[in-house]
Amino acid sequence: MLGATLGRGAASGLPAPDVPDLKAYRLRPSEEEVTSYVGMVIFLGSWAMMFAALFFAYAVVRVRAPGWPPPDQPPLPILLPGLNTAVIAASSAAVAFAVRAHALGRHRRAARALGLGAGLGALFLALQAVVWAGLWRDGFLPSGGPYPSAFYALTAFHALHVLVGLAALGVLAIRAPSPRGLSRSAVRLWGMFWHFVGAVWGALYVALYLL
Amino acid sequence: MTAPRVGRTAIALAVSLVGSAATLAALAGGAAWAAPLPEPGYGLPRDVSVDGHRIDHLLYFTLGAITVVFAVVAALLVWSLARHNREHPALYSHGNGRSIAVVVGAVAALLVGVDGYLFVHTLGDMRSTFWNFPRAEAAEGAVRIEVNAHQWSWDARYPGADGKFGTPDDVVTLDDVRVPVGVPVVVQLASTDVIHSMYLPNFRVKQDAVPGTVTRLTFRAKVPGEYEIACAQHCGANHYKMRGVLTVLAPQAFREWLAEAGEDARRAYDPEDAEAHWGWEWRTEP
Amino acid sequence: MSTIAQVLAEASQPIHPPPTSFWRRYVFSTDHKVIARQFLWAGLLFLLLGGTLAMLIRWQWAFPYRPVPALGRLLFGSSGGVIGPATYQHLFTTHGLVMIFFAVTPVLIGCFGNFLIPLMIGARDMAFPRLNMYSLWTFLLSQLLVLASFLTDLGSAGAGWTTFPPLSTNVGMPGLGQTLVVAAIFVTGVSSTMGAINYVTTVIRMRAPGMGYLRLPLTVWGLWLTAILNALFVPVLGSAALLLLLDRNFGTQFFIAGASAVRGGGDPILFQHLFWIFGHPEVYILILPAWGILGDVLAIFARKPHHWYKGTVWAMVLVTVLSAMVYGHHMFVTGMSPLLGEGFMLFTLLISAPSMVVVLNWVATLWRGSLRFDTPMLFALATVFVFGVGGLTGLFLADISMDLYLHDTMFVVGHFHFTMAAASFIGAMTGVYFWFPKLFGRSLDERLGRAHFWFTFVGITAVFAGQLVVGWAGQQRRLFDPFQYTFIQGLRGLNQWTSYAAFALFAGQFLFVWNFFKTLFGKAAPAGANPWEATTLEWTETSSPPPFHNFDRIPEVVRGPHELSNPEVRRLTGRDYAGQAEVLPGGGEPGRAAAGV
Repeated sequence: MLGATLGRGAASGLPAPDVPDLKAYRLRPSEEEVTSYVGMVIFLGSWAMMFAALFFAYAVVRVRAPGWPPPDQPPLPILLPGLNTAVIAASSAAVAFAVRAHALGRHRRAARALGLGAGLGALFLALQAVVWAGLWRDGFLPSGGPYPSAFYALTAFHALHVLVGLAALGVLAIRAPSPRGLSRSAVRLWGMFWHFVGAVWGALYVALYLL
Repeated sequence: MTAPRVGRTAIALAVSLVGSAATLAALAGGAAWAAPLPEPGYGLPRDVSVDGHRIDHLLYFTLGAITVVFAVVAALLVWSLARHNREHPALYSHGNGRSIAVVVGAVAALLVGVDGYLFVHTLGDMRSTFWNFPRAEAAEGAVRIEVNAHQWSWDARYPGADGKFGTPDDVVTLDDVRVPVGVPVVVQLASTDVIHSMYLPNFRVKQDAVPGTVTRLTFRAKVPGEYEIACAQHCGANHYKMRGVLTVLAPQAFREWLAEAGEDARRAYDPEDAEAHWGWEWRTEP
Repeated sequence: MSTIAQVLAEASQPIHPPPTSFWRRYVFSTDHKVIARQFLWAGLLFLLLGGTLAMLIRWQWAFPYRPVPALGRLLFGSSGGVIGPATYQHLFTTHGLVMIFFAVTPVLIGCFGNFLIPLMIGARDMAFPRLNMYSLWTFLLSQLLVLASFLTDLGSAGAGWTTFPPLSTNVGMPGLGQTLVVAAIFVTGVSSTMGAINYVTTVIRMRAPGMGYLRLPLTVWGLWLTAILNALFVPVLGSAALLLLLDRNFGTQFFIAGASAVRGGGDPILFQHLFWIFGHPEVYILILPAWGILGDVLAIFARKPHHWYKGTVWAMVLVTVLSAMVYGHHMFVTGMSPLLGEGFMLFTLLISAPSMVVVLNWVATLWRGSLRFDTPMLFALATVFVFGVGGLTGLFLADISMDLYLHDTMFVVGHFHFTMAAASFIGAMTGVYFWFPKLFGRSLDERLGRAHFWFTFVGITAVFAGQLVVGWAGQQRRLFDPFQYTFIQGLRGLNQWTSYAAFALFAGQFLFVWNFFKTLFGKAAPAGANPWEATTLEWTETSSPPPFHNFDRIPEVVRGPHELSNPEVRRLTGRDYAGQAEVLPGGGEPGRAAAGV
């Protein structure tokens, strides 16, 4: 009991006891890190409520509408957004890899993975822009009733989150190579945020495009 | 702090507690001061509906119940304030089985006795009367009215002699709804702009008019006369002027008025005037 | 004599030197105590604004079409000082919004949450001090947006504080003012969410050694549950505000239906669902901190442990859980499905049970105590009273058939003012008088405090009782000129008397303003660390005001929050109270066993 407590306090300057599995020991978070993870989980839970409310709004306008999509409006494309789902999943995987590499002190590798994650994120936004532009050209405007309203509101709000995450990943990738450039929790927390944004996209893709 | 000052504070608190309780109790007494007409002012407005007494019963029951609860708790509080002051040695207790049982018991009694009573009665009232639209419509001689609420008036539409809405003999009135005494009136409400709420204080009922949907309201009038239709939902700068008149007529007088107005409507019908054709086919399902 | 637990706590929360520059110390501070004071100032300022708006509304109800004395020429110069119907709707809309989001919230949650959570749980600061600072500045930005809305061409928001569309869309309220206010709601929501994340994490992670959940002062319980509700439901309001902004500015059709709709449009009732999913918990967001404050203050001034502490805690938890399941009672007359309505009625009636447990526990705490009638106690007792009235009148509105008649009348206004305005406001005042010595190192003047108390208590009761009575007689809310209706004409006198009471109530508040400044900048003597002989950590373990790092040594908590009048403690120390972390002579720790009761 006491040993475990001391071990966790190691990051605060207490002597490190003998630990058989060095890798597991290095990955063990300090008290401050646990606090920041707890905060991040609460933040994401809170933010998930916001998206849940948006999905609820989408469900309500959809259930109330006489037809979905309305007969005189084009169906949404499925293929390109589907590709985008793969892109953001790959980006999430890259970031997950970066988080682990950084925690183990492999900074260069972490920086490359972060850069890859950010690049895939940018590709996601670009593809999304292509989807928007195509629909816009077909006269599919936000003012065309609840169907385009829901589509544009949800995708744009999500894209805004991607943009924020993208900026953060970019900064992290630049600062990651230097050994003291980044705290472990910075990478870990932005990683959590990025996975969250990816998961929301998955739900969006299913709800908006497939169903 | 000296002893008399403690006493004074406690007494002053006690006086204001009792005074305020009296103010609340005045709510109940209010109806008794009522002059017959116009409205009494204090207390509930005159109930001129067949079913309003059900709501009034619950209102008075609840008022009575909360007055008793309030008086008992306030009495305990005042007693405590007056007697258990600085000179009184405090009892060292985090609460014991008996005191907790008193709290839980009191709450359980109120929950069953008051909340339970309200729940059961309301369920019955809503299902039998206030939200029972099929039964109201099926009743002999039931009157159907479509009301289109908009900033800032109430347009009412009667089906006319053919019993159908949207035909040339529809009777359309502005801020003037007439109903016969004794039979169920079913109103279907819609709005073209913002949310309004049709509120009939003398009939104890109210229903929002929501753009995009049709909502329903039913009541039965008991006493002939002129009453007010009020808007209860803020609907813009002139919300306060959104006042209509509800006239309750004897059945014969209502039939005569409707027949005559239907004739006039048929003669004045203008197929070109799209603005005037706002009615909808009567909804049997909401 | 530090224990291992204390050493570890010290190690994870080392003492940082206080910042030296003026800006970092007083403006862009990350110190939770400074941020708390900043929230207090911001909140009190807007309380004055909201109060002034209330006075204008009361003037209108007492003397419609008559010029407002003094202020009228200044504010409504173009109409000769008379309030017009369009202006009137801005008045009641902004009164509600300002009071709820920009006055009571910053005082109860921004100030007390920030100030008390770390001090009461024995932490050196919040879990995320920088986030805390961002929360404050985001909040100030939202206040600025509200102020800016008053300067726009068509005036501020006018769709009521509930902001129901389509009235709040361009269909009913074109103009920048409404947009700015909806944006302000969104921004203040972001601020609240940041604060909530901080509070929730702080209570989970930063409690001093020995401070188990069932040893937390009730104030912390109230604030913590509030923060949980905020974290869960403010984002829902954020969504509603966001979609409303899109409807207003980008032509979307979420809430627009009727004549202005395209392809059938959206659903105005959708907004009400989103709004009340947030809005009903919001009622508890505003009352739970006050309940918590009351739980502690009543015990301390009755010199008696809180009656059935666990019961109160679980009742508060239950209220928090149920609060999200009752919101439909705001929508009984929107045409909701009967079954849904009945379910909401059932839950609403059920939520009265834990609320009654809390109130009866207060009464039982006072029973056979040794009551001290200092100003905080007077305010606390008044809170019990007004909350009682507010809670009991809620019974009418929980019930569908009575709501058919009472919905959207002044009765509703009276009811929620008794709870949200009276109980929250007097509860906040309890806190201000009680913690003022800790906040600023000096105690407020007792005589002025008493005078302020009587004005407030009698005034508030009279004003809101007046609202209940006119509502019972059927008067709708939000009427520019209620006396257009013949059935309301008999209430003219009552409306006037209620307004006189409101004016007196407002005037009485200047006693507090005077007291506040006199104490702060006058020659009041230092209050000392523990002027009320209280038991919680902020009083017993640190000075008034506390140093930058709060505690020289992080305390180790050994007992519950209200160890008062314990004969064993009296025998050992000669005092009738023992602090939560106080080690008594002789090594015994009386109250340890009782802590969980």
